[in-house]
Amino acid sequence: MKTPAFEVHMPKTLDDALETAKHLHEGGHDFDWISGGTDLIPNYKWGINPKPHVISIFGVSELKGISATRIGAMVRLQDIVESTVAHPLIVEAAGTIASVMIRRSGTLGGNLCLDTRCFWLNQSETWRKSIDYCHKCDEGTGADCRVIPNQNELCVATYQGDLAPALMCLDARIHLASHRGTRSMLLEDFFQEDGITRNVLETGEIVTHIQLPENSADFIGSYQKLRLREAWDFPEGGVAFSVGISADGTVSTINMASTGFESIPRKHIELIEALDKGPNWALEAERLGAELKRAVRPVLNTWFPPAYRKKMASVLARRAMEETSKRVTSG
Amino acid sequence: MPEDKKEIVGYRQQPGKLDFTRPGSGGSSPNSEKRDPSMIPQSQGGELDQPWGPHRHDDLVTGRIIGKRTPLIDSRWKVTGQAVYGDDVRLPGEIIGRLVRSDRHYAKVLSIDMTDVESIPGVLATATGIDAPSAFGVLPVTKDEHAMALEKVRHIGDIVACVAAEDEETARLASAAVRIEYQDLEPIFDMRDGLKDSPDPIHDRDIYHIGESNVQKRVFQRFGRISDLKNSIASYENEWTFKGVNHGFTEPHAVVAHWDPRGRLTLYTPQQVPHYVHRALADVLDIPMHQINVHRTYVGGGFGGKSDPFPHEMCAAILARKSGRPVRITFDREEVFWTNRGRHPSRISMAIHADKEGRFSGIETDALIDGGGFASFGHVTTYYNGVLHTAPYEIGAFHYTGARVWTNKPASGAMRGHGAVNSRCAVEVGIDHISEELGVDPIDLRLANLLPPHSATITGFRVTSIGMRECLERVRKESGWDKKFRKMPLGKGIGVGCGFFISGSGLPIHWDPNKFPHATVHLKIDMDGGVTIHTGAADIGQGSDTVVGQAVAEVLGLPMDMIRIRSKESDTSPVDLGSYSSRVTFMNANAAVSAAMEVRSELIEAASLITGVEASCLVLGDRRIFNKKDPAVGVSYLQALHKAQEDRGALIASGSYRTPPMGKMHKGAAAGLAPAYSFSAYVAEVDVDIETGRIKVEKVWAAHDCGKALNPLSVEGQIIGSCHMGLGQVISEEMKYGRTGNLLNPDLLGYKIPTVHEMPEVVPIIVESNDPEGPFGAKEAGEGPLLPILPAVCNAVYDAIGVRTNELPLTPDRLYRSIEKACKQQGIKDPRDLPNPSLEQTPLSDILIRRAKDHAKRDRERRLNPNPDAYYNGQLFNRHDTGPPEENDPDWTVQVLPDQEYLENPKLAGSAWLHKERRHMEGVE
Repeated sequence: MKTPAFEVHMPKTLDDALETAKHLHEGGHDFDWISGGTDLIPNYKWGINPKPHVISIFGVSELKGISATRIGAMVRLQDIVESTVAHPLIVEAAGTIASVMIRRSGTLGGNLCLDTRCFWLNQSETWRKSIDYCHKCDEGTGADCRVIPNQNELCVATYQGDLAPALMCLDARIHLASHRGTRSMLLEDFFQEDGITRNVLETGEIVTHIQLPENSADFIGSYQKLRLREAWDFPEGGVAFSVGISADGTVSTINMASTGFESIPRKHIELIEALDKGPNWALEAERLGAELKRAVRPVLNTWFPPAYRKKMASVLARRAMEETSKRVTSG
Repeated sequence: MPEDKKEIVGYRQQPGKLDFTRPGSGGSSPNSEKRDPSMIPQSQGGELDQPWGPHRHDDLVTGRIIGKRTPLIDSRWKVTGQAVYGDDVRLPGEIIGRLVRSDRHYAKVLSIDMTDVESIPGVLATATGIDAPSAFGVLPVTKDEHAMALEKVRHIGDIVACVAAEDEETARLASAAVRIEYQDLEPIFDMRDGLKDSPDPIHDRDIYHIGESNVQKRVFQRFGRISDLKNSIASYENEWTFKGVNHGFTEPHAVVAHWDPRGRLTLYTPQQVPHYVHRALADVLDIPMHQINVHRTYVGGGFGGKSDPFPHEMCAAILARKSGRPVRITFDREEVFWTNRGRHPSRISMAIHADKEGRFSGIETDALIDGGGFASFGHVTTYYNGVLHTAPYEIGAFHYTGARVWTNKPASGAMRGHGAVNSRCAVEVGIDHISEELGVDPIDLRLANLLPPHSATITGFRVTSIGMRECLERVRKESGWDKKFRKMPLGKGIGVGCGFFISGSGLPIHWDPNKFPHATVHLKIDMDGGVTIHTGAADIGQGSDTVVGQAVAEVLGLPMDMIRIRSKESDTSPVDLGSYSSRVTFMNANAAVSAAMEVRSELIEAASLITGVEASCLVLGDRRIFNKKDPAVGVSYLQALHKAQEDRGALIASGSYRTPPMGKMHKGAAAGLAPAYSFSAYVAEVDVDIETGRIKVEKVWAAHDCGKALNPLSVEGQIIGSCHMGLGQVISEEMKYGRTGNLLNPDLLGYKIPTVHEMPEVVPIIVESNDPEGPFGAKEAGEGPLLPILPAVCNAVYDAIGVRTNELPLTPDRLYRSIEKACKQQGIKDPRDLPNPSLEQTPLSDILIRRAKDHAKRDRERRLNPNPDAYYNGQLFNRHDTGPPEENDPDWTVQVLPDQEYLENPKLAGSAWLHKERRHMEGVE
């Protein structure tokens, strides 16, 4: 494998970085941001949308730093795993990602902006030629979608990041910056349902950090991940669940979010709204699981067949709830 | 030692008249060590226990190195990064070659246009199929490969052309600029379609073609009392599906070809079988073999996947010849998968029957195997799927039908446990099912049905040493089997599986074994005393260099640091068949022992001349030759060596090995014939998540009979490594083809090799059955240990949740489907309510335990008896006395062609016999 040549830009400050992006954009140059590179570089090697310019935000100190309520985009995943201040639910989800070695390079921002994945996409150029190319990454070939033929409106490549559902369950806000200024939103509003667009980021815009509510320490939760092997594998389905405990010990909020089933991670607000928030909330695990199973719509483009992943959604949801309940009880 | 000092003083005074003593006596320790009696066999007056009797090599034992845990002699090169693998070879002026591969499943190549390529600056050579039209293939009977496609491409990734350029980037650019015009043909992906007539069979075998089908090879074998099958009281019948698996070695294929100024070709390649490449290169390049030097580099894992001569090796040589520059080609991982030669995907119908006395009245197997685009080793694989499960059990009847078909996928070939793995899994799971039906413990059932040592299998394989019983007894004891089997809670389970494998293929592929040996080893010892071993055996990481070094060091009483191995180049190595069929330790170490024996007797002769002690009284110890009755009388190794070198210089010796005559004469009788066989039994303990179908293998007790562990360290390594590899096939690994026939996971993220998290604790247990013909009693340990892990896990899953499988790999989604099915059948809603399997023993148990006890006694007597009575499979059924059953039993069948009756209702693979070969069709002469 040979990585296509690209020019690397290494800004030292956030302003520098945004300025570089602006400059490249105005000059008509295509570019990508690179943080840990564990997702981008393999894709480049396979000829999946390589760009001639890459802006590395490795040296941008504003993007670093981790506290109980704020995690910078450039914080490495393994630093989250080893952190004593990060929320346990985030630590748990981060600990399931890939392997220690990859986590030592991969970052929070990179994981949230993970490119979507598909059997027909994550292949070499020679391979993709043999299926007459892929709709997502071989623009200009007029290729059809290979997962759901005869449509090239929507890309159904699967989002397989682990952190997003955990952060959604903590009501995290994601903060973005570009040369036009900054903005922030709830994490669930960051993602856009299309395997190509993926999220709201505009050209030249980057994720700076995520912010958790001040009371996030009152949230207790669990993340359950479906995969074939306990290392390396992306989630074939992942469910995070959390409850917010009030000062009087009652449950004030309940959250559930999933990943790995569709082209975006999803917070299941409607399912939760119907849930009894009384002291017996945990008894609803079985029913909630069944409802999540109905709600998710996986397609045949990852390792496990969609029918199995759908069935497992209910097991994952139930286990996430049961585990949370156990953790609430044990304090 | 004051005397030494005096001699060193004398050295200056008497130049040329001094013996080498210290330093120079050789080895890293200055003084000779005493003989360790615990390493000397009892038969030679030592203290080494010999429960399996003496061995013909006992008198060669010096107690130095055989049986000691010995780090591999090349390990320091590897751990310090100094080992030169295929892609590490760098020659001055080298350029980079790149292969142009088909993006079609199956198509005629109409034209290849290189115009755009030649205009790219830096492109130095291009080649297409017409540059080398000679066919080659690993087996002389099925040469069906070419350097590059001649008229059609047979799978995605098949090689169409190649280019060489100054650097990799240019080479990639150039390979993409080749314009190829194809005419698509109708591809087939399902192996069952290969059995049918096709308008365009993937290969054309001319008059030998089987109908108009894609059947490459078919086998029919029927042995024994077939009529008895009707009287069985318990049977297992199931249709298995096995997905294809790849070797998953770390090092991708890589090759460097260089034509030297004299016009000789040197090919650097990580090959398991350098000799076959040597032959194929001569054919394809149309030059004599002596003009070629095949240089085997370090091999970063082979497992059978680097044993064919490959098209890319030919392409490198062709490009180098055209450009006049050394050419290097290194594969991307997906090219490794497109080259494949992994285990055949297969559909196996397995039926096993047992009679009321708990004997296996017969095994009926039908195996259809998917060969992909080329023949590779497939001819042999087709036989192995049947004949390698005719032991270790005594069986009343054996009926095997097998067929291998071509499909438009990368070629399957030989992989660790060649041809034996899948059908063995089905057999062992079948036995587990039968013991359930009979109400007996599966280990009891197995122990009461084993062939004894020195017996013949139903198809006539000569089996010598057998450690099967000890393997089973050891794993039973160490795993705590009796307390766990059918007694653990739902979700936890324990299972057993056995294995049987050849220790070297009895028949060399290219020549008559009666005329030319299987293996040859040369020794050279000059004045320095170090021993140079020339061997062609390819060390592929399994430690063949170490074992041949150990054999020589043991016989000559030398430390390993006095042994040097030259095994890399065909220019300096004697011809060796290479590292496959688990032949190297058995054959090559035997050849090394016989070469060392020649040197040994010359040393003893010389020592006898110096000391005046009769040669028959002299023995070898650590760098010393002495009177065994009076160890103080003796000479150093170097003194004896220099005496022996007088008037002639360096000592040289040559030793070789060839198999004894054996086996029967029926068609296919040679397939599976081996000078010895290995046996193994594993117990696996698993934890099954019944709600997700996920299997966690917790612990494995792995007993393997390797005859004698020449190096226990590497035997254990092989056992643990085999467990890992087999585990992959049973829980996660598969080559996954999508609905379009494309290989969906040609990379190591998608191809699921178990990680350290999936790897269970393995307790390796070495059983030493002292093979009479093996070097110091040794047999193979490289492939056999892989077989039992698959059925052991499948059977443990049954013990855990009561669900039988017939599909591998047993990924969570597949197991979950079976769990759902079981729930539906039993009217259960939640899998957590499934019944936990239990065992209620029937009176047959006692009969089996008694019989096993009698057999244990019988086997002990037979193994210690230097001339035991002949024993033929079938005697357990009391049908004939001691003669061969086909001569004594009128109902005994020996049939290698199907009859009309069978053809009226053939099984899946058996239906290959419905076709006539073209030469037998009407109108064909």
